[in-house]
Amino acid sequence: MLVALAGNPNTGKSTIFNALTGMKQHVGNWPGVTVEKKEGETKIEGTLVKVVDLPGTYSLTAYTMEEIITRNFIIEEKPDVIVDIIDSSNLERNLYLLTELLELHSKIVVVLNMFDEAQKKYSIDVEKMSKILGLPVVTAVGIRGKGIDKLKEKILHGKFNPKRVEYPEDVEKRIDEIVNLIKPLKIEPARWYAIKILENDAEVHKKIAEMGGKSVLHRAEHLRHEIEDIYGDDIESLMTSFRYSFAHGLFHEVAEPINVGGVTITDMIDHVVTHKIFGLPIFLAIMYLSFQFVFLVAAPFQDAIDLIFNGKSTATGHIPGLVDLSYNWMLQFMPAWLSSFINHGMLRGLGAVLTFTPVIMLLFLILSFLEDSGYLARVAFLMDSIMKKMGLEGRGIIPLMLGFGCNVPAVMATRTLKDENERKLSIALNPLIPCGARIQVFAFLSGIFFPSNPALVLWSLLILSMVVVFVLGYIYSKTIFRGKSEPFVLELPPYRMPTIKGISIHMWEKSEGFLRKAGTIIVGAAAIIWIFAALPWGVKYGSPDSYIGMFAQWIAPIGTAFGLTPEAIISLIFGFFAKEVVIDVLYVLYGSKEAIFHAMTPIQAYSFMLFMLFYTPCVATLATIYNETKSKKFTLFVILEGFVLGALFSFAFYNLANLLGVGT
Amino acid sequence: MLLSELKPGEYGIVKKIRGTGALHRRLLSMGLLPGAIVRVVRVSPLGDPVEYEIRGFFISLRKQEASFVDVDKVTPLSFIPRNSDVRVVFIDGGVGFVHNMGAMGIAVGKRLKIIAPCCPMQVKTEKGVFTLGRGMAYRVFVR
Repeated sequence: MLVALAGNPNTGKSTIFNALTGMKQHVGNWPGVTVEKKEGETKIEGTLVKVVDLPGTYSLTAYTMEEIITRNFIIEEKPDVIVDIIDSSNLERNLYLLTELLELHSKIVVVLNMFDEAQKKYSIDVEKMSKILGLPVVTAVGIRGKGIDKLKEKILHGKFNPKRVEYPEDVEKRIDEIVNLIKPLKIEPARWYAIKILENDAEVHKKIAEMGGKSVLHRAEHLRHEIEDIYGDDIESLMTSFRYSFAHGLFHEVAEPINVGGVTITDMIDHVVTHKIFGLPIFLAIMYLSFQFVFLVAAPFQDAIDLIFNGKSTATGHIPGLVDLSYNWMLQFMPAWLSSFINHGMLRGLGAVLTFTPVIMLLFLILSFLEDSGYLARVAFLMDSIMKKMGLEGRGIIPLMLGFGCNVPAVMATRTLKDENERKLSIALNPLIPCGARIQVFAFLSGIFFPSNPALVLWSLLILSMVVVFVLGYIYSKTIFRGKSEPFVLELPPYRMPTIKGISIHMWEKSEGFLRKAGTIIVGAAAIIWIFAALPWGVKYGSPDSYIGMFAQWIAPIGTAFGLTPEAIISLIFGFFAKEVVIDVLYVLYGSKEAIFHAMTPIQAYSFMLFMLFYTPCVATLATIYNETKSKKFTLFVILEGFVLGALFSFAFYNLANLLGVGT
Repeated sequence: MLLSELKPGEYGIVKKIRGTGALHRRLLSMGLLPGAIVRVVRVSPLGDPVEYEIRGFFISLRKQEASFVDVDKVTPLSFIPRNSDVRVVFIDGGVGFVHNMGAMGIAVGKRLKIIAPCCPMQVKTEKGVFTLGRGMAYRVFVR
């Protein structure tokens, strides 16, 4: 048995989905798009039921990906039952979607979710509603698991005798005519197709034209103009109005308002957090505290994982980690190169993957809390007018800010953006924000080369990256990532207390996805890097005699144009694996801070930092970008973008500075 | 006038949604339809977008988007001061509520005189003087 969950956004659809399927769920993408698809299974009275969570939508037009996915799923997959999850505290608008669903499917179970919240607003006559609609209506409080058993029962045994949404006589007459005209095409549901043809729905129009129904479309156009003339408005406004009056009428039949015009808690909170003067500082404070929390709490876990895998070098010597121990142990029964490959290559790679996990888990803990509570929608409201200049909606600020911590979770956080184009734009910009690891390297180098004012040097890099991101965002949004100018009509839902269950499921999904998919790529890349750094066999790991070293020397003449020494180039190659490694590599190759200071001029050092600011994101970020976009082309674009910007700035700075004779 | 011209705290009744395509359709499916009442809640600290209440829920629209919506400015009866003369333009409720109000002489097009302001308020209609609670007065829109 196949059951589909439909409903508006913010109606607690996923809570009901979780309550129905428990942990037995699979999260993926709908084919060809980045819209999330959730599937799960449950057993009701011994019957195996497959449950699909459709994207949250307000209507079923052909204007957004989510809407097209929802209606195509219903038409093509023909679920046995549709469960329409309704936020009962926002009954009228939620009933509008039901009117559209009623035209597509006859077996709909209506769930009045958040029923406890609704009872403070109005008294709802559930039985009357069920009688008028001819559908089973179940009340539920998803977050407390209330009503789930009843819902299961109705999915299996509900009686369906649905009421038809009637249009005025003038319109019905014309719908009937189109129904008759499309009979030869044998498409179902015929009435729905007829209505959509009349409404001039783009997708349906295309489909009918492909099926050879040109004459139908022609006749429909005529009928459409007749209706528009009779009622004096455009067809879309009219048809939506007719359906809304059904929803409006039903709403007033079954709901009696209790408390009109009172001040709500949501209104009080909004009065503060979107306040003219305090709104923005509060936002910055919340973001600062959230990220502090994430990175501070994650740090000891990351250090511990790093310690377990890589051990620790102290003044008195090296405390071996798992990698060293395992390497020595394996030496007993396999050649050194193989043990080194397994341990220094792959096991160390696994360690790198695991160190990301605490950050990702905590970050999604916070993000789910912000999203489920309703605050994220306010962020969009606060930041919209700044972010829209770079082609993003207000929520686009969050992944960008996160990038200063780590680009991996930041790229994953672009999921908060609903528009596909904006997501891609946001992912393309994110690696240009220097992550904590790069900032650490910059701080280290600034301290060596600019001891009088290292902070100023660091700030210049941060500000440059922000300017570049902003300008590039502006350019991208006008060119390659130009959206379909999707309207930004944002719902500001009431504040709600998120549930621990909802948040933990969300957190687990993200971390598991990262570990499994991106993790594999990272371990693979680690193995490849090992091959180039350790071969030909017998050379010192990563030394100028290794393949990486040879490559660096080969490319060195080009490097001089940017002021890059061969050692700096080797460190950048290793930095591809993890940016903080750059410091270690420079140490190993030069021997000491002193030697590093003498190997480069301050101009060269700054040029090196400029290159490092932008050049390719690290392997983990790339793996995540690929995992999120599933596009090799796009991932390659991000690498290229980084190299071009890095080369551009470092070349321009190095040569300009030399030309002007600064610092010589 | 345009929805984008209303100020926070003001109400409008939607006349027409102009424009085409996705924006047009999205506004409609949110329930911004001719006859719907919209309240301007607040403006974002940076001046754009603006939060509106419609049919009991809250949405944020950019000013540019809100300028596709034509409205007439209206006021809930509960906000009207003593001694004003007003005309009813809209009653927000089901058949029953509209009927009950009609029995007191409060119907679309009728004139009212406010004897005592909200709440409870006293209004003089052509059928006499009646007392209205906040819940009622808030759902009658006048100009």
